[in-house]
Amino acid sequence: MNIRQAVKMAWKSIWGKKGRSALTILGIFIGIAAVMTIVSVMEGMKQKTIAQYEAMGSNRITVTISSWLYDEEGNDISKDYFPELYDYCNSIKEYVVGITPTGWSNATVTYGTKSTATMQPTWDEATGTMTGEIPPSCYYGSDQYSVCNNLTIAKGRDLSVLDIEKYNQVCVMGAQAAKTFFGTADPVGKAVQVNGNNFQVVGVYAPRMSDKDAAAVGSPDNLIVFPYTTRRVLGDQKSQEFLVKARSPEAMTEAISRIGGFLKGQIDPSTGGYGVYPQDEWQQYQNETLSLIGGVLGGIAAISLVVGGIGIMNIMLVTVTERTREIGIRRAIGAQRSSIVAQFLIEAAMLCGIGGIVGIIFGALGSIVLSTLLMKLTIFPPLNVTLGAFGLSVALGLIFGSYPAAKASKLQPVEALRAE
Amino acid sequence: MAKLIQLRDVYKIYGEGLESEVRALDGVSLEVTEGEFVAVVGQSGSGKSTMMNVLGCLDIPTRGTYLLDGTDVRELTDKELSHIRNKKIGFIFQQYNLIQSLTVVENVELPLIYQGTGPEQRRELAMQALERVGLAGRSKHKPTQMSGGQQQRVAIARAIATKPPIIMADEPTGALDSHTGREVLEFLQKLNREGSTVILITHDNGIAATARRIVRLADGKIVEDHAQEVDWL
Repeated sequence: MNIRQAVKMAWKSIWGKKGRSALTILGIFIGIAAVMTIVSVMEGMKQKTIAQYEAMGSNRITVTISSWLYDEEGNDISKDYFPELYDYCNSIKEYVVGITPTGWSNATVTYGTKSTATMQPTWDEATGTMTGEIPPSCYYGSDQYSVCNNLTIAKGRDLSVLDIEKYNQVCVMGAQAAKTFFGTADPVGKAVQVNGNNFQVVGVYAPRMSDKDAAAVGSPDNLIVFPYTTRRVLGDQKSQEFLVKARSPEAMTEAISRIGGFLKGQIDPSTGGYGVYPQDEWQQYQNETLSLIGGVLGGIAAISLVVGGIGIMNIMLVTVTERTREIGIRRAIGAQRSSIVAQFLIEAAMLCGIGGIVGIIFGALGSIVLSTLLMKLTIFPPLNVTLGAFGLSVALGLIFGSYPAAKASKLQPVEALRAE
Repeated sequence: MAKLIQLRDVYKIYGEGLESEVRALDGVSLEVTEGEFVAVVGQSGSGKSTMMNVLGCLDIPTRGTYLLDGTDVRELTDKELSHIRNKKIGFIFQQYNLIQSLTVVENVELPLIYQGTGPEQRRELAMQALERVGLAGRSKHKPTQMSGGQQQRVAIARAIATKPPIIMADEPTGALDSHTGREVLEFLQKLNREGSTVILITHDNGIAATARRIVRLADGKIVEDHAQEVDWL
């Protein structure tokens, strides 16, 4: 007897008892739908956090330098180590792609009637997003700011080494910031006031995230970058935190140890300290937390699958009892034990498989609806989760069908034929 | 003619050694040659059903030898026994034993499925068998839509679909009225004339009269075994 024939037989028997089959399937269907929803929502959240980090770029190393050297009036008179660090990093190009300060400026940027001082974002409870004009964040960067942050120039030019050296009052805007200030007009060549100083916009970065993703997580493209040397004009302290981008995950370790070694030789431990560490750790921690939550919830849903599986076993045992005579007939006319096993196993697997398919459909709907309601983004179940759920349901059928099938095959033909 | 069936001193004992021990077959020896039509007759409890189960390879004797076509059945595995039932024996039961959820033609195809015959050839052979019992026109019906006589003819079609050398009929007319019963017996005689070895199990001497040889059982023993004038139908 071939598989195709067995599948046909199983389908006949399932279809012949539609009502009972539907009820039996219910247990599997609910379990699979729950598991699907949980796993795909969790998977989706993980993908989104990864996407956020990837927008910033990977292989990032944070360098902090602190100092405690002050004059009598309390002014920081410690050395700015950045120029040396910059030169050093540029001398180990095989490990390092770029380095930039990540200092933040609270300077007021004004263009015409638009000013960061008066921009008022509002939090929309209903959609869970920020609406209105959100003031861009201002950063001090080196000419390597863009490469460290996965930014590319869409219009105009990037900050140059010359801008840094000459204290040029220029800036590059992120896509979202440019939109806020200039709408659809071309910002390149226009001058904005930064704390009353004229700064010329020389370039605009290309957006790093799609509008939809950006709206959900807060746009990483809402930024303005000044040459870090202009901080004197704007009255800000020197940056104490820097970002180094390593060439590859493998180069990270080497870059960290080399930069650490370099700073150790530079900084007098009595007046300052430093730290060099990878940024991926936080991301990893977040992913692990998400996986843990997903695992616990998935485990609870899996219990319902076991209950569903026991339901399948129960109904298959009833079916075997009901069909004892049929089994006897089949055995008498030549069915081997293995044929009987196959018949009932396939029937159980098909029952569960159908339950699984219905569960997958509802689980997919569930994850789309839930993710839209909870996270303001639409998560479609990943293909591997879908296939996994289907495989799991069929496996449940095989596992919980094996006992009834074995029982059916062990019936003696003579006794089975005698059954009413 | 070759000896198709050889029972040598066969016992089938239930609960051996117990006080309630039942000797359903108590030292039976029997030889059946290819092409014979044998009626096994006996009252209920005489052991004829056990005889049928043993002869049909549905049950294994407790002691003794059963050679079917030269093969010792006691040596065979369950799988090999299934194979023999499938290839060599066509069963006809008192209660027809059709599978109600399958159509007529699907019932007839069943032994061919277990033989591994391909779908097209299977359908063809099944239709041929239905043709022979005069039910080709009702192949798509369910057994429940048919009369008892028709159901028994479907069962006969199923028994002959694989063209087995032996037809084993256990009270095939038991559930039928005398007219349709007669038709069934007539058909068995026809099969026998065409070369099949037929073994008919019955309690009814009138029915046994249609066979060319009669074997009478009582208390698990053969008490009578001889050829007879056939009541040709």
